[in-house]
Parts: sequence; structure tokens; C-alpha cells
Amino acid sequence: MGQQSAPQAQNPPPAANAADQGTMAVQPSAASSPRALSRVEQMARFRTPNIPLSQPDAVAMTETRYFTAVRYATLVHLCEIMMPASEDHPSAIKSGTPEFLDFYIGASPIEQQSMYNNGLDRLNSDCMKQFNVPFAKAETKQADAVIRPHLKGWMNDHPPREGHARFLNLVHHDIRTATINSPAWAIAAEASGDRTPGVGLYWNPIEPGIKTWVDHGIAQATPTTKHKHS
Amino acid sequence: MAQKKVDVLIIGSGHTGGMAAKILTEKGISCTMLDAGPMLNFEKYREMKPVHELPYRGFDAPGRLPHVFQASEFNANQWVDEKVVPYYHPPEQPYNWVRVRSVGGRSPFWARQSFRLSDYEFKCKDHDGFGENWPISLKDLAPYYSRVEKIFRVTGHSDGLPQYPDGDFIEDNSPWSGAMQRFVDAGKKLGVPVTKPRSSLGKDGLASSLNLLLPDAVATGKLTTIPNAIVRQITVDKNTGRADGVIFIDRHSHREMVLKARVVVLAAGALESTRLLLLSNICNSSGVLGRYLSDQIYGAGIICSVPEARDGKAPPHLMGGGALIPRFRNLDTKANGFIRGYAVNVSCSNGPFDARALPFYGKELEQKLQSYNGSGFSTNIMGEALGHYEDHVTLNKEVVDAWGIPTLNIHTNYTSNETNMAKDYVDTMAAMAEAAGFEILVKNYEFNPPGYSIHEQGTARMSDDPKKGVVTRWNQCHDIKNLFVVDASVFVSAGWQNPTITMCTLSMRASEYLAEEMRKGNV
Repeated sequence: MGQQSAPQAQNPPPAANAADQGTMAVQPSAASSPRALSRVEQMARFRTPNIPLSQPDAVAMTETRYFTAVRYATLVHLCEIMMPASEDHPSAIKSGTPEFLDFYIGASPIEQQSMYNNGLDRLNSDCMKQFNVPFAKAETKQADAVIRPHLKGWMNDHPPREGHARFLNLVHHDIRTATINSPAWAIAAEASGDRTPGVGLYWNPIEPGIKTWVDHGIAQATPTTKHKHS
Repeated sequence: MAQKKVDVLIIGSGHTGGMAAKILTEKGISCTMLDAGPMLNFEKYREMKPVHELPYRGFDAPGRLPHVFQASEFNANQWVDEKVVPYYHPPEQPYNWVRVRSVGGRSPFWARQSFRLSDYEFKCKDHDGFGENWPISLKDLAPYYSRVEKIFRVTGHSDGLPQYPDGDFIEDNSPWSGAMQRFVDAGKKLGVPVTKPRSSLGKDGLASSLNLLLPDAVATGKLTTIPNAIVRQITVDKNTGRADGVIFIDRHSHREMVLKARVVVLAAGALESTRLLLLSNICNSSGVLGRYLSDQIYGAGIICSVPEARDGKAPPHLMGGGALIPRFRNLDTKANGFIRGYAVNVSCSNGPFDARALPFYGKELEQKLQSYNGSGFSTNIMGEALGHYEDHVTLNKEVVDAWGIPTLNIHTNYTSNETNMAKDYVDTMAAMAEAAGFEILVKNYEFNPPGYSIHEQGTARMSDDPKKGVVTRWNQCHDIKNLFVVDASVFVSAGWQNPTITMCTLSMRASEYLAEEMRKGNV
């Protein structure tokens, strides 16, 4: 701006792009230029602007790709049966729970995947045996006949041990959790005047830089060959 | 910078490392404290968030923390990731090793139940012949317990029970709620004492090393704290046989550093301290280093509903409050099928009812939840698990952590003693709940895997006999006189009690002893 640089400022001009910020970081003398230092200090004072953000669920659907078509249809119907809409809150299906569980179980350890796959198959085969209809097309009473005998009361960390009872009680819990914790449920809760449900104290990653080292290997200095010392 | 020899090096900054730092610096001794993790920045790392904004709707990333049952998507980042610091257990011997690595250790996250051990624990062998007595008794620790209770601001009710020693409490004289009173009365008929819980109030919402202990050490100007310092070895002077410092690795850069010290205080948490002793190949002339791992069984319990509280009809003061049933088995009589005993946490809730306890679904479940809302009554066990010689840890040189340090194999197993104890507990609680007129919905006899309670103890136990223990009654290693272990690895038996207050008490006592020995020139 017509201002002359101070005679002692022989350093590069103040950073004008992100790459130069890096230069200053690795070349401390660069930041000793008063103009460069002033620019860094100005940037440090910058505060995050308030830009309202939305969650992807507000505009997009989860793509389903894990369960087979038959298993997914079974899961969708199970969601509808176990958690239909109430006066104030959306159903599991409206909350995107089947799609979420398809994603979540698809990314889970194999034991969890097996439990779901076997459980959904068993529901379907029980329904075929008893009523000759697939579970996805079962009427309320038919579905009840293959679900209710397996439901048990249980406490935290200790669902029933027997395979199918374990699946049905856990999938029920998963459907409820995925639905109650969904964005759709939160919108409905707010609309009906409820407090925002499920607010908790969240811990952000603590110094996550360590992940870089873990993922990319350990920095190790290789000893040089022994020198002869006088 | 020129290397200097520090006076006392403390490894670990949780409750026991923090207590050692406080006591020693207040005695005028300079301390350097290392922690393997970063300093916590509570403003930067925490925020209130609604669950629907989290990527996994509260479930957390699939398979991320399979051994941390306490983990949720809210707190997942506070625990050690076992892919970073792995450990092994045989598939048929599950072990939940629940760890935190940050300055303050696990102390910002504990449940704050605050108990003294009694002589039923300290002199356990005298009562049933199993294991070993501690070389100390309640009388030795009582003055230190009092001081610790004042620092932690322990609230509780004085009950005058020998198995539940009273302390210096902020006295809790609150009345029982109606439902709790019915349970108390039911207990009286069965000879089961139901007492007020005892817990640390701390201050400003925390009862941690970070806010109750370390600030006092910092105020002396004699504490140097270094985060992100992962100790891989305690070094020993070959000429003197004494510990002379450590080698540690910078957590971020993996740079190795040598630190020299006159005295080393080990407070890294029971299994990490033992791992470090094993890595350093020291303090095992007894052959019991790594042996007698124990803890407490948690997870079995009952869930009930108080009928009069259902459908929004609870009269004032019927619901709410908690209780603690201290150990009552194997005191003067002998229980069938197990030795030692258990305590019980009792909770009477006027909040939402846990849907898992009700075997219904759909609209029927919603109606039940509405009806049962505010009527919950539940119990949870804290039972002493026995530490056998076979319950042990060894070094696994085949599997190393992210810093190239060998990891631990953990071999431990609960036995019929724990199973029979849990059965007695559930049946007794169910009988009391029934007598109190509650509807019992769930009776769960199954307990969680070892480690779950986050109360791992033993593996470097104390004994007057150098052939039976790793440290003396003053927490001083038999083999290396200038090395002290002040965490729960020195416990001889687990008891049913949350160990934190006893850990702090032992660390306080050991640190005062150390300061005096240093003054005399003995260490």
C-alpha cells in the first residue's frame, strides 16, 4: 500500500496462501517479519462463523447394500411391527431405521452379522412353516406368533443366551435405539414440545494425531554402523 | 538441554500418582511425573451434543471397543483403543481391560463409591484360610483413611458395622423414601443391613487427581509434569542394583528419552505397573509378580417395579434414592457354596423405565412403559472375586503396541465361588423385593467378565515375606529399595469395596514413609 518495508525485513512477504502458512511453520524466521507475524496473529483471532448445518438424513437416504432382499424385507417388516408410529413420534421405518441397521450391521464384526442373518432367516422360516407366508408379508397376528414366545425381560449387557431369543431381544433393542436416536425422532420430539432427547456429554477425539503414527507406521531411527573412535 | 537427575520420578498421574505427588512435594521433595497420555483440555475435548447428531446414533463405531462395555458413542474417545495398545486373553477366558491414557488417568471417570476395607478383608485368611492376609490392618490405615476422606469429601452415614468401617464423613442423615424403607425393613427380617451409600463429593463436579491432588502439588512449585511419555523400561544401575531412572518414548514422535532419578514411584495402574516391571525384568525374586490378579464381579441383579408408583400414582416421597448393602455373608456364620462376600448397590428410580425389562413390543410396550414410568427398583452386585495363583499376566513379546512395546497376556477365570455367590445374591435380593411388595421383572444370575468393574487388583502384592510378595507393607519393592509401587497392584485380596479410597490411602502412607526414609538417607 505504498508503505516501504522496514529495511531489516529481508524475509519473504506475508503469506498469501495456505502453502505459505506451512512455510512459516517450518521456517521460524519467516514469521519474524512484522507483517507476517501480524497476519498470523490476525488469523489466530478469527472466530468460527455461525453457519447453520443440517444432517445428511434431512436430505438423503442411506443406501442399503448389506442384507439380501429377503432379509431386508424381513427387517423392514420387523421394524414396522416392533416400533410403529405413535401419536407424537415417527415409526422405525419413517426414522430410517432399516437402512441404518443395514449400514451398521454391514460394518459390524462377523458375529453380529451372523446373528442378524440367522435371526432374520429363522423369523422367515418360522413364518413359512406356521402360516406359509414370508415374514415380510405376515399379518399382525402371524408375526406375533413367531415373535412373542421369544421375548424375555433382561438387563443391561445380559440378553438371553439362546440364539434366536438373543437375536429377537437384541434386534428389538437395536430398532428402538436407532429409532429414538434418529434425526427424525428428534424433529418430532421438538415439534411436540419435548425436550431434545438424548443430549449427553460428548468427548471429542483427544489429540487424534496419534492415529497418523499408528496407521502409517512407527518412526524409527536406524542405528548407523559402528564408527571407530579414536 | 543437559540431563539432570530428578529426585523422585512418578510414573502415572491418576489417583495414586497424584497422591504421591501431593504428599512428596508438600514434604519439600521435587517430583517429576510422567503420564503416557496427553493433558485433557476439558473445554476443547468435551461438549454437550444430542445423540441424533452423532454418526452412529449412539451405538458407536462397530467393533471399536469390544471389551469396554461402559463405552458409548458419547465417551468412546476417552478409552484406550485396544488396536493401539493390544492385549491377549484366551477365547475361553475373556477379560475386559478398561483403560484411560491421559493426565489424571482414570480418576476423572470413576463412579466415586468410597469405602474403607475392614479387617474382614485385611485379615481374610484368618477367617476362611484362603490366600494370604495383608501385612497391615485397618488400624494401620485408619488415620490415613481419615485424611483421604477429607480430601475427597466423602459423604455417608455412620453405621457402626465392623465389616463396613465408618470414616470421616459428611454425614448423610437424609430419610429413606417409602419404597426404600420397605426394602430396609425386608432386609431386617433376613438379617441383611441396608445402609446409605458412601461416595466422594469432590469439588466442582469431579473427584479426580486433576482437581483434588495435583493442584496442591503444583502449588508447591516442586512438580514437573510431562504428558505423552510412555515408559518402556525402568533402568537399574548394575553396580548398586538400584533403580536409576527410566527410558520413555514420546507418544507423538516416538523419540526415545532417558531420564535419571534417585527414586522411582510406580503408579501406572495395576496391570500397566506390572507390565512395566515385567518389561524391565525386575522385582520378581518372589516369582509372584504378575500373579493373583483379582477384582470384583458386577452385572448380576434384579429389576423390579413398585406397584404403587405405577400409572403416575406415586404418592410424594415413595420413590427415589439409593442404598448400599455391605457384605453380610461369612462374617459370623458360613455361607453355602462360597467364601468371602458381596455388597449390593440399590437404586430406586422415579425416571423412565428400562424397556429391556419388559417382554413386549410395539404399542403394547409403549403402554407398559407409560404405566411403569417412575416405578423402577433395581440392584447390582459388587462381589469379591478370589485371586488365585493361576490368575496371572505374562509378557507377550510377539504382539507389540503402537510404540513397539511388548503387550500383556491375561489369564484369569472366575470359579464356582463367584457363581455361587451371585446365585445367593440374586435369590436374597429377590426374597427382599418380594417381601417389600415389589413386582420382580428380571432376575439375572449372569455376571460380567473379569475386568469389567475396572477394579483390577493384585499382580504385585504386598507381603512381609519377600518370597510371597513383591512389595513390603510400605509399598517398597523387596528387590529394589528405591522403587515403590503405590497403585492397586499391591492389593493382597480384592474385597467387595471400590478400591480407590484404599489405593489413595496406601499411596499417601507409602509416600510419607518414603519422604521420611529419604530424610534419613535410607533411600
